[in-house]
Amino acid sequence: MTSTRRDLFKFAGGAAVGALFTPAPWRLVTDTALWSETWPGVPRPARGEIRARYTNCSLCPAGCAVRARCVGEQPVALMGVLEHPFTHGALCPFGLAGHHLPYHPARIRQNPVKQAAAAISDGLARCGAGERVAVLDLRPGRTASWTYRRSLAEWKNGTYLKPPQALGGNLAVNLAAAKTVLSFGAPLLDGWGTPGNVIAAREGFRLIQAETVESRTAVMADQWLPIRPGSEAALARAIANVLADQPLHDAALETGLTDAQIVAAARELADNGPALVLDARDRPEILALNQLVGALGHTIVTRREAPVPAEWKMAVAATELQAVPDGSVRVLLIDESAPGPYLPWSAIEKKLVADNPVVVAFAWSGEGYGRHAQFVVPTAVYPEWVDDIPPAVDSPAAMFRLSAALLPPPADVVNPAEFVAGLARISATNALRERADAIHKAGRGTLFTYADGKSTAVKDVKADDFWKALQEGGCWMDAVPERTEIPKLALGPPAADPVVNNFPLAVVMAEASAPGSPILSKLYQESNLRLAGDRVVLHPAVASECRVEDGGRAILETGCGRLEVRVLVDAGAPQGVVQLAAGPRTLDLCGSSPRAKVVRV
Amino acid sequence: MRGIFPFAAGAAIMLVAGWAGFPRAIYKSRPQPVDFSHKVHADKAGQKCEDCHAFRPDGTFAGIPTLDKCAGCHAAAMGSTVAEKNFVEQYVTPAREPHWAVYARQPENVFFSHIAHVKRAKLSCESCHGDHGTSDHLRPYQQDRVSGYSRNIWQTAERVKSTRAAMTMSACVECHRQQGLENSCLDCHK
Repeated sequence: MTSTRRDLFKFAGGAAVGALFTPAPWRLVTDTALWSETWPGVPRPARGEIRARYTNCSLCPAGCAVRARCVGEQPVALMGVLEHPFTHGALCPFGLAGHHLPYHPARIRQNPVKQAAAAISDGLARCGAGERVAVLDLRPGRTASWTYRRSLAEWKNGTYLKPPQALGGNLAVNLAAAKTVLSFGAPLLDGWGTPGNVIAAREGFRLIQAETVESRTAVMADQWLPIRPGSEAALARAIANVLADQPLHDAALETGLTDAQIVAAARELADNGPALVLDARDRPEILALNQLVGALGHTIVTRREAPVPAEWKMAVAATELQAVPDGSVRVLLIDESAPGPYLPWSAIEKKLVADNPVVVAFAWSGEGYGRHAQFVVPTAVYPEWVDDIPPAVDSPAAMFRLSAALLPPPADVVNPAEFVAGLARISATNALRERADAIHKAGRGTLFTYADGKSTAVKDVKADDFWKALQEGGCWMDAVPERTEIPKLALGPPAADPVVNNFPLAVVMAEASAPGSPILSKLYQESNLRLAGDRVVLHPAVASECRVEDGGRAILETGCGRLEVRVLVDAGAPQGVVQLAAGPRTLDLCGSSPRAKVVRV
Repeated sequence: MRGIFPFAAGAAIMLVAGWAGFPRAIYKSRPQPVDFSHKVHADKAGQKCEDCHAFRPDGTFAGIPTLDKCAGCHAAAMGSTVAEKNFVEQYVTPAREPHWAVYARQPENVFFSHIAHVKRAKLSCESCHGDHGTSDHLRPYQQDRVSGYSRNIWQTAERVKSTRAAMTMSACVECHRQQGLENSCLDCHK
């Protein structure tokens, strides 16, 4: 009996069919999937003796205290510090997964620092009369911010730019003193301020959330006022009219609320004080309500800045971007290493000179201004480097805490403040220590150490011990002065009403997100608990009008450009609205023109 | 009829290989360094699980004890068994740490807190580790050749014989649901 080639094929076919009825192929599929979780290139947590180290999370201005479970030099898990008197052990999902960021696939690997330095030097040489060298600092108030301001003082027309900030800086919110809070879309219960402090203070105040969409804060508020999109200022004016015994005019028509609802909200603010009014975008006509309800000096207080060495005060003043003349910035350096509010690129671009401006971004990923800059110089990422974190908006007292490094940074990253100081030929390598010494010398406030949960008066601590404690996880908290001056709200002009034109949908921004670990894709891409940067939410009727389907691709178009997005259809979304996350791409598109249309691809 | 024979032979061979050979071939097996008897230690020495598998002062779980702990009693042989004699000669006397293989070791991407389960939820060791604490011999450690996971994470065959739970994510989630406990991804995936 001879075997033919056909027999061989039959044998193979039989073997293949037989294999399907065994566990082998199915088990190999599972095993291969499991193997891919830890295949070469995927970072692995170290095994070994565990020890606790302490730091502060610098992913957002809250600066929550962190206890890191470390094996050797590697942090393998992060958690809050329960005993902390202000952050109360809270740590958000972004903070819990912060130690993944050094391994983030979006990290910049190339370092064009020499080319960037040459371009900056060339830009400085070409800087004409009336032209500026500017640093845009997304998180002002740090020691690095002072280094920028000192460096810029060395240059002609050096300009230090900071994001617009009505609250924060030297004005803080004292939530613990508030009995009634009216929030115009501020995500008070969803990452605003210091989450641990907000949760601790929540029992003490009644929250009224005026917002177009039923956000997570609106769901958890005591009362949700579902207002028409873009009618926040109209509601603020109506409340002001009630407080001044003026008629409401057509406020109900503008806001979508009843007169009774508006009057009740106003009475609540007036009768159940101390009251506080917050706004997601710090609009002047809304924050001005705080003056009417007597918030200044009670729930909005003046905050002293943490002391700095006297010689640092020969620095340039902080300027807001809108105060800079258009077409005047020759060299712009943008520090994105400490995340902060993102200013739309269109607002920045018009400040640049027309012919060959130099724009350099310092960032760990190219997702932000790196998309517009000529050079993106890589920086370290939390928790790789030491930086200080200024107090959040809800901290009535000044704070000084360090985001101590838990991991060594890669060799080729740049410290932006030291880079700029080097260009200006000033010394900044010991700036943090110098500031810590200045705080110690002032002798006020207390030092809270995380390892033992103890508070000690600064005057009872030696300077070296103070510095050592800060490096090992500690927080200096200023003493609240017995008498403070009544703060003044520096409010700009009201924003112009957006032009409707061909854009029928009002843009409603969901909360901005901190830079996150890839593991948080569960939040974004699978469960949509938070909106990813490329998702928009539409009411079914709006989706039908736009001829787009749930899960389908579409183009979001505004007066500033177009962006490809994926559509989520949600019956809970209001009509006439497109909701999207406040990320760099969407803010570039919608930040200055809050009307849009959605077009089927 | 002859034409179907190669097909049937191929199918039969693969069925035998897939059911009889594959489940053995997928694991590589290695013996534990010492033939340790939990039973002797529990019965004769009257020891409890936590005497050797203790929590550190900071709450972390020490896992398998190091040689120092064993040498506290076994600086010299206490009994007459070959296993103990070999242990003293090969490990205690030359102060050489045995390289134990941990049957219950979770993958690298999972964080499991013993103290939360033992102290707070008051789970007994047997809930997850079954009758391991009364075993007279240590069985070989079996590791999946592809995924690298310990066989005991799945322990399908053993589960049929005992009430011991598997140590898979679905088993964790199932137990937490039964207890009415909320989960988030970051509880275990740090």
